[in-house]
Order: sequence, then C-alpha cells, then structure tokens
Amino acid sequence: MKTGPGTFDEQEGRGTPPPFSVLRRLLRYTRAYLPALLLAFALILLMTGLFNYLPVILRNAIDRYVDATGAAEASRIQGLIHLGVLYFVLSGLGSAVRYAQGLVTAWTGQRIVRDIRRDVFNKAIEMPREFYDHTPVGRIMTRVTSDVDVIQQFVSEGVAGSVADLFMFMGVVGFMLYLSPFMTGCLFTVIPFMIALFAFANTKLRRANREIRRAQAAMNANTQESLAGMTTIQLFNREPVACSVFGEYNDAMKKACFREVRWFSFYFPVLEWAQALSTVLILAAGGWVILSGKGHVTLGVLVAFLSYLREFFRPLDSLSNRIGSLQQALVSCERIFTLMDRDIRIHDPEQPVAATHIEGRLKLDHVWFAYNENDWVLKDISFEVQPGESMAIVGATGSGKTTIINLLARFYDVQKGSVSMDGHDVRAYRKNDIRRHMGIVTQDPFLFSSSVADNISLRDPAITRVHIEEAARYVNAHAFIEALPNGYDTVLNERGAGLSAGQKQLLALARALAQNRDAILILDEATANVDSASELLIQDALTRVMKNRTSIIIAHRLSTIRHVDRIIVLYQGRITAVGSHEELIRQDGYYRRLYEYLSVSE
Amino acid sequence: MDAMCEEQTINKSLRLSRYVLKHWRKILFGFAMSLLTVGFNLAMPYITRYIIDGLTQGDLALRHLILLPALYALTSLLAAVTSFWMRHTPLRIGHAVEADLRADVFHHLTLMDRAWFRTQRTGDLMNRMSSDMRQVAMTVGQGLMQVCRMVFVFFFGFVIMFSISARLAWLMVLFVPVMSWSFSRFARRTKQTHLAVQEELSRMAGFSQEAFAGAQTIKSFAVESRWKGLFCALNDALVGRNLALARVHEAIWPVAAFWLSAGSVMILVVGGRSVIRGEMTLGQLVQFNQYLLYLQWPLLSLGWILSLFQRGKASWERVGEVLKSRPSIGDGSRTDASLEEVRGELVFDRVGVTMEGQTLLHEVSLTVPEGARVGITGPTGSGKTLLVSLVPRLMDPASGRITIGGRDLRDYPLSVLRAQIGMAEQEAMLFSDTLGKNIAFGLNEHSEEKVLEASGIAHLHGDVEAFPLRYETMIGERGVTLSGGQRQRASISRAIVREPRILILDDVLASVDTSTEAAILENMRPLFQGRTTLFVSHRVSTLRDMDFIVVLEAGRITQQGTHGELVRRDGYYKRLCEIQELAARVN
Repeated sequence: MKTGPGTFDEQEGRGTPPPFSVLRRLLRYTRAYLPALLLAFALILLMTGLFNYLPVILRNAIDRYVDATGAAEASRIQGLIHLGVLYFVLSGLGSAVRYAQGLVTAWTGQRIVRDIRRDVFNKAIEMPREFYDHTPVGRIMTRVTSDVDVIQQFVSEGVAGSVADLFMFMGVVGFMLYLSPFMTGCLFTVIPFMIALFAFANTKLRRANREIRRAQAAMNANTQESLAGMTTIQLFNREPVACSVFGEYNDAMKKACFREVRWFSFYFPVLEWAQALSTVLILAAGGWVILSGKGHVTLGVLVAFLSYLREFFRPLDSLSNRIGSLQQALVSCERIFTLMDRDIRIHDPEQPVAATHIEGRLKLDHVWFAYNENDWVLKDISFEVQPGESMAIVGATGSGKTTIINLLARFYDVQKGSVSMDGHDVRAYRKNDIRRHMGIVTQDPFLFSSSVADNISLRDPAITRVHIEEAARYVNAHAFIEALPNGYDTVLNERGAGLSAGQKQLLALARALAQNRDAILILDEATANVDSASELLIQDALTRVMKNRTSIIIAHRLSTIRHVDRIIVLYQGRITAVGSHEELIRQDGYYRRLYEYLSVSE
Repeated sequence: MDAMCEEQTINKSLRLSRYVLKHWRKILFGFAMSLLTVGFNLAMPYITRYIIDGLTQGDLALRHLILLPALYALTSLLAAVTSFWMRHTPLRIGHAVEADLRADVFHHLTLMDRAWFRTQRTGDLMNRMSSDMRQVAMTVGQGLMQVCRMVFVFFFGFVIMFSISARLAWLMVLFVPVMSWSFSRFARRTKQTHLAVQEELSRMAGFSQEAFAGAQTIKSFAVESRWKGLFCALNDALVGRNLALARVHEAIWPVAAFWLSAGSVMILVVGGRSVIRGEMTLGQLVQFNQYLLYLQWPLLSLGWILSLFQRGKASWERVGEVLKSRPSIGDGSRTDASLEEVRGELVFDRVGVTMEGQTLLHEVSLTVPEGARVGITGPTGSGKTLLVSLVPRLMDPASGRITIGGRDLRDYPLSVLRAQIGMAEQEAMLFSDTLGKNIAFGLNEHSEEKVLEASGIAHLHGDVEAFPLRYETMIGERGVTLSGGQRQRASISRAIVREPRILILDDVLASVDTSTEAAILENMRPLFQGRTTLFVSHRVSTLRDMDFIVVLEAGRITQQGTHGELVRRDGYYKRLCEIQELAARVN
C-alpha cells in the first residue's frame, strides 16, 4: 500500500569503487584527535629506530668481539656482554614503545569509530516514519553494526598498521643502506618480483574468501528456508530432493573452501621462499665481497643483514593485504554517509511557535493526502475537535483512519489543506513539541524488552516510581502488573510476548499518561480479541481518561463508541457522516449496520 | 533394552574419526610432506653455517660460493613445494569432512518431526550448520597439520640443537616453556576480554534493533534524545571494553618480540663467548639463532592449538547433539511395508492430544466416509489445525487412534501415507523458486500441464498471466512478493496438483475475497469427487458447501451435521452465520 516513489531503497553496494571524497569525509573524523595521532606517529618513529638498531648491535658484537682476533679473550667477552645488555635494554624499550603506540592507536581508533557509530545511530533515529515504513530493520542494523565494524577494522588496524609498516620498511632499508649499499642494491633487484607475487597471492586469497562468503550466504539461505519449511517438505515427500538441492550448495561451499585452501597453502610457502631467496642473495653477494676483500662488508654485516630480512618482507606483505581492507572500509563508509545525507523530510520551522501549554483544539481543514502521488488516501477531510471533546472515527479497513493520526502527530505532511493545533498549523511547531502533547496508543503497542516500569516511563529519570504506579493505577493496569513475577521490575519479553492484547493496551495507556498527564489522547483501538476481563478494565479506564480530555479514538468497539461525544464515519477517504451515537443510529447508513454487527458479535 | 542397544549403536557410529579416517591415505601423505618440509627447513641453516665458517676461516673457494647458495635455493624451493602440500592436504581433508558431516546433518534434519523443530531455535540450528561445522573443519585440518609439524619441529630441532651445542640447547630447553607459557597466558586473557567485547556488542545490537523496531513509539513520544543518550552510554561502554581488550591484545606482539630478542641475546652472549673461547664457530652460532627463529612460530601457537581442540570438541558436541536426536515420528517396527494404498473410511477414534500438560484435543471421534467433504470450524485455538495435522502424521495422538480403511495410520509407511495426502496449510510456506516449481512441488516429475490445470482450478492462473515471466516468476526474497490471497491459492494449487486421495485445506480461503472464493469452490467441485476432503474454515460461505460440518470448541466436538441442520440448532454455528451476515452488510 505504501510503496512507490517515496521508497527509501538503498543499493547494498555499487560496482564502482567509492570516490575519493568518501575518504576525505572519513578523515574529517580524525580531526578531533590530531594530537593523539601525532603522538602515535612519533611513537612509531621511535619504535622503528629502536628495533632497527638491534642488528647494528649484532654487527658490532660480531665484528668487534666475536670475530676479532687481536684483543684479549677476557676483554672481548666483557665487550660482548656489554653489547648484549644494550641489545636487551633496547629491545625491551622498543617493545614498550610498541605497546604504548598500540594503546594510543587503539584509543584514537576507538574514539573515531565511536563518533561514527553515534552519528549513524542519531541520524537513523531521526529518520521519519516513512523511512521506517519502507526500510527493513535488518538493513538499518547493518549500517550501525557491520558497516561500522568494517570501518573499525580498518581504522584501528589498517591505518595505524599501514603507517607503522611503511616506516618499518623504510627504517629497514635505511639501516641496510647504512651498513652496505651494495648488498641492499642486490636485494632490491628481487623486490619488484616479490611484491608482484604477494599482490597476486593476496588477490587470489581475497577473491577466494569472497567466494566462500557468497557460497556460505547462499547455503545459509537455503538451509534457513528448508528448516522453516521442513513440514511442507515432509508433507510433500520432498526430503530426497531437498537433500540433493542442499548437496549442491554444500558442494559449492566445499569447492569454494578448496580454492581458498589452495591459495592459503600457496601463500606461506611463497613468503618463506621469498625470504630464503633473499638469504641466498645476501650470502652469495656478501660472501663474494668478503672473499674479494674489496668492500666494507664484514661477517658482522652479513649476520646483521640476515637479521633484517625478517623485518623486510612482513611490511610488504601486510601492505598489499591492507589495500583490500581499505576498499571494503570505503564501501561501508559510503553506505553510512548515504544514510547520513538522507533528508529527514519532516523539518522543524526556523522560528517555531512555542508550545508550552496546549488547550487541545485540533482541526483538519480541507485535507488531501496521499502516500503515493495521486493515490489519495484522504480526500478533502475537514473536522474540528474542541478542547475536552472526545471523538471517535469509524470506518472500514483502508478508509484512512490511521492516516489521520499520522497527520495530527506530523509523521507526514499534508499535500493540500492544513492540520492545526490551537489555531496554528502543525508545521509551525517543532514536531517534538506537538508529539509531547499527544499520548499516542497504537493498535499493537510496541513494548521494549526492559522492565514494565521502564516501558511506562520510557526511561525518563524524572518519572519516578510513584508517578509510574499512579499512571498504572489510573488506567487499571496496576493489578496485573503487580501479579507479574517481579511486579514493575519484571523484564518483558521481546515485543511484550506473553502479555495479552488487552494488557498491552493498558500498559500503553499508562505510558501515554505517565509521559504527559494532560496529553491529548490519540488511541487506535486493538482489533485483536481482547479477553472480556481486560475489556472491562479498558473501558473503565477509557471513560476516566477521556473525561475533559481532547481525545481522538479509532474505535472498533461498541462500548467505546458509546462513550464519545461525537463520531465521524469515514468511507474511502471521505467523511460520510458526523454526529452523536443517537443521531447516527437514526440514519440508515454504515453506522447503523456497524452497530448491529457489533451488538451481535461482542 | 531394545532402545538401549539402539542408543549404543548410534553413539558408536557418531565418531568424528569415522569421517576423518576414510582419508587415511591423504593423511599419511600429509604427514610425509610435513616431515620433508621440516627436514628441508632444518637443513638450510647448515648451508648458512658452512658459508660463514668458510668465510671466517678463509678456506671458502669462489666455486663454493656459487654451489652452496645454489644448493640453498634448491632446498628452499623443495621446501616450498612440500610446505604447500603439507598445508593443502590436511586443510582440504578438513573441508571434506565438513561437507560430509553437513550433508549428514541436513539429511538427519529432514527426518525430524515438527514437535522437535518446535523445541529448537532456527538461529541455533543455523549456527550448528555453519559456524560449528567450520570450527570442526578448522580443528580437523589445522589439527592434523599443526600437531604433526610441531612434533617434527621440536623433536628434530632439538636433536640438531643439542648436536651443535649442548649448553645452548639446554638454555633453550629452559627458555622455551617460559616463553610459551607467558605467551599463551596473554592469548587466554585476550580471549576472555574479547568475549566481554562481544557481549557488549550484542547488547548494543539488541538495543539498536529494538530502537529501530520501536522507532514509531520513540517518535510518538518524542523521546529520540533520550534514546540517543542511552545509545551513547552503550557506545562508551563498548569503547571501554574495546580498550580493555587493546590493553591485553596490543601486548601480545611486543611480548613475543621481546622474548625473541631475549633469546637472541642469550645465544649471542653465551654462544659468542664459546666462539671467542674457540669452543664453537661463528657459523654454528648463526645456525643456532636461525633455529630459534624457526621454532618461534610453533612455540607461540602452542596455546592456540590447545584451544583449537577445545573449541573443535565443543562444536563437534553441538553438531553431535543434532545427529543424536531421534524423530518421534517415522517408520518403525509396526510399519507394514506391503501397504501401498491409502483407501477407505477415515476414522478418528477417541483421539486425544496433550501438550505441556494442556489437553488440546479430548476424545475426538469422527468418521469420514471415503470421498466425503467435511467442513471443520470453531473458535480460534479450538484445535482445528491440530486435528487435521494428525492425518499426515505431523504429530501422533497421545491417546486413541486414527485409521484409514481400518488400518492405523502408523501401519502405513510414512512416505506412502503422505504421498496420498494433499495439504494446504494455514500459513502457506512457499520456497524461493519459480512459481511453477512451487506448484509442482509435490510432483515427482515436473509437468507443465498439471501445473496449469491446478492453478486454473485455484483461480491463480489469471494472476500469473499478469506476471511478465508467468510461471517462471521467482518467488520470495529475491523475487515477487505474493499477496496473502495469491499465496493461499498457490498453496491450494500445490496441494491439488498431486491428485491426492485425501485433501486437507486449512483455512486457505481466508485471504481471498468472496467472489474468488465462490469461483474456487465452483472450480473444485469436480475435484472433490471421490476425494476425502477436510476443509477447515471460518466462513459459512465455504462450509455451507460441505457434506457435513463439525464444530470444535476447546478440543471437543460440540456440533456435527449439515449446514441445513446446524443453522436450525442453537449453538456456535448458528451464531457464526448471523454475525457473518451482518458483517457482510458492514463492508
């Protein structure tokens, strides 16, 4: 009924990589934490220096003491121990710096991600009713959870990791150049080849992983459906077919896993082999220089180089890996920013009319409204409700009853005509100011899975337990609440499962009054069967609540209709009759037929 | 006694080894590759040692400087090849086991009855089918690979280290456990803190989920800012947990690096002293250091492997639980395989059903002659659906019995019984497939003709003509969403396309308008000929057509008779007629 041009449909991802502007916008979140980022950067530099100096100590130890024949044995050992202590201290220091850097980075990353997450949630909760009518909750959840997680992954490990890797690599190369430019040059001849190999293996592995996810998702969808429809499958003797269909998904999954295994198994041997080849290169080149006696390469340099090799490939490898995580993060960012850029549609005016006290005069003046263009749901509706008056709206399903409520609370704006409260157009107020003066009770009230008390107070700390109980007593909800296992502290099940329709309605009524005891009552009566005990309680409560209160009720029950001052009959978006119960019953129209039906069926 | 025996045979066949050991040839191959890899890797430092010693003593010829590195390169290439197979073989076995196991579990699930599924949460079963399976695969694959590699690495590694320098090797023996222990402690702490983060994450996800689901309420009462505040608090709590995790997690690698440096220093100082004293060569020192590096990874992953086995065991137990569960409905010792036809009178003989202490059906007795059409009605929750679902044995009665042609339903092989029943359920479950395939769901061979005929009878054909792809239209999440009435008519088509002996229609016309209802009933008239039909309905317009009508109230039959008889008697049915007459005037 409410689909069409207004649909908030969102592509889950687009084929092209996101533009650079997305990255820039992501970087804007780092601004607030610039000092911390600079500190992390400084720590990275320090760490690089410390760790990369260690092989130099190794060279000195070997060249000056271990492999030096001139000096006395005792003094050589003495020198060796000194250098050993230095090595130990520096490596300890390096580890400490690395830890500190990790903490600073985590601190910053966590805060950036927190800010993004907060902004997404705040935006989502601001989105209009229309958005929630068209967007599955699961999709909104994806923005707040998995998309943010992907960004977190990237921000906390990717960014800092990449910078650290880059500097580590540069540090290694710098120290190598310092020790022996010739050998470094030799090593660099193989680097392009290695990078290409890593990039190749990484791409393959990433693709294989993506395929696994796809196969897993397809298989899960099939399994989920089969489980949900198992009775049907069994009724139609389709078990063998279901098994063989599942077998196909299972096989596809196995094949995808096999492919991943192939590239995973390929990956580490390549890494090891690259290291081995570099070792060979260093041994051969270094050995040749030493043998020829021309260069400045010593055995110590050779050993130091072997030690550097360990740090040489790791950064290269992980850098090539992180390009993928950057891409993913940007896609997630783009999706999040798309949500953040959404128009919330129902805007507050720049200079709102104050709404501290409301008398409760409601008026619809020649209102036309359509959810989808030109598919009018309300056609030229006009009526006025005086302060303290109660009015019922009756009519068949789809006659536009609920839409009137949506317009009064400004969940939607009218296309033609106007809706006003106390003489001002509702668009002149801040939307939350209007809503605060309305106690809206929907057909199937939403209950949160928190305590009964929280459900009534909506976690407003200003609403004390006394207030809560007062409201509950006033609407006859106190007795059944007290009968719950923990009274007002009973934590309700998801969506209030386990409570009867009548009890939910009573709770919602208590909630509306607790929020604002002078609220205009807007009630969409439950169509579901309400047990007769609750029915009596509800009617009793309603009589009390409606007294001297502006009330608009979409009525489904005879007893409710009888208690209101005025009744409006809605038929296909138009008002076909207005009047009191006595007036309407005298006409031979919809109302009389409804009355007769209700008198028999109740 | 019998049951005990059965239980034991089940347990016996429920060993993971049954799935693993059938790959024994490959497992042996993987072991061999592992042995070779370790051998090559331990051999390579020897070459380094000869080169360095040759350089130190100055007796290395230029020829050696080509030959030895070439040998090194060759060995490393061989090591890379065997190392590939060392990983590839067991990891593949892991996934093969996973696939076999998953197929078995799925097959097992198709045997389970509805009562069992009601006790299970779908999300939980899904987890067992996906993440637990993957955990088992990982444990089998990585377990086979890591354990045997680790044994080889430690055994041969230490043998060689002792042969080089007993003193250094002893130092390593003392050093290794400390390093391994401290590292696994960090890993364990990380896991614990990680759990705390997960908890906080799911708390936040739950909060958001509810906030979005209840967004209308939040907006109605203009409490968005309060929910933002609550979210903010959760968000901060999550940051706190994440930072607590970082405090442990960020320490892991610095600690590992530190221990490694400590090991290197020890080798340098103690070994260097031996070199200076001439008890050892520089080459040997370098070689020894390379073994430390080589041992580093297996050492650090020791704790991980232990926890891998724990997690794998837990996952396997969860999977095993599913495999161990027994269906309460199925063919058993009393099944008479010679029964191939389901014919004759359908008799409910004092049938009772109790669930969780509540009596849902009480001594229901009903005789339905072959070919008769019975309307079943009654208030919501009176047991109508339950009564008809006993016929295809979605459930068995707790007391009394149901017979067809004088034989208890439990005598018929389940597949024979169900093959003769066409049932359209209240909430029709359609599958994400084409519309045509959904209708032909119960046919052994797809027949376009039969599909067309069935959909014509159910008054669906006209709607289908409006779809661009007609019967090839995909249904479900990735396709067209059918309206409630269309789903019901598709479900009727699916039931009648099988040309069943017994037709069960459970409130299937509730969502179609009255004129369509009349048309469908008219279309079905020839179909009802010679078929026993149980038609659950709230609508007098449907019930009126039946041969006789049964009224169920609170699990008991309270009225029975033709429409003509029942409208004249006071009771539920008469009232139903009156209300529906008035309701027709309202709308």
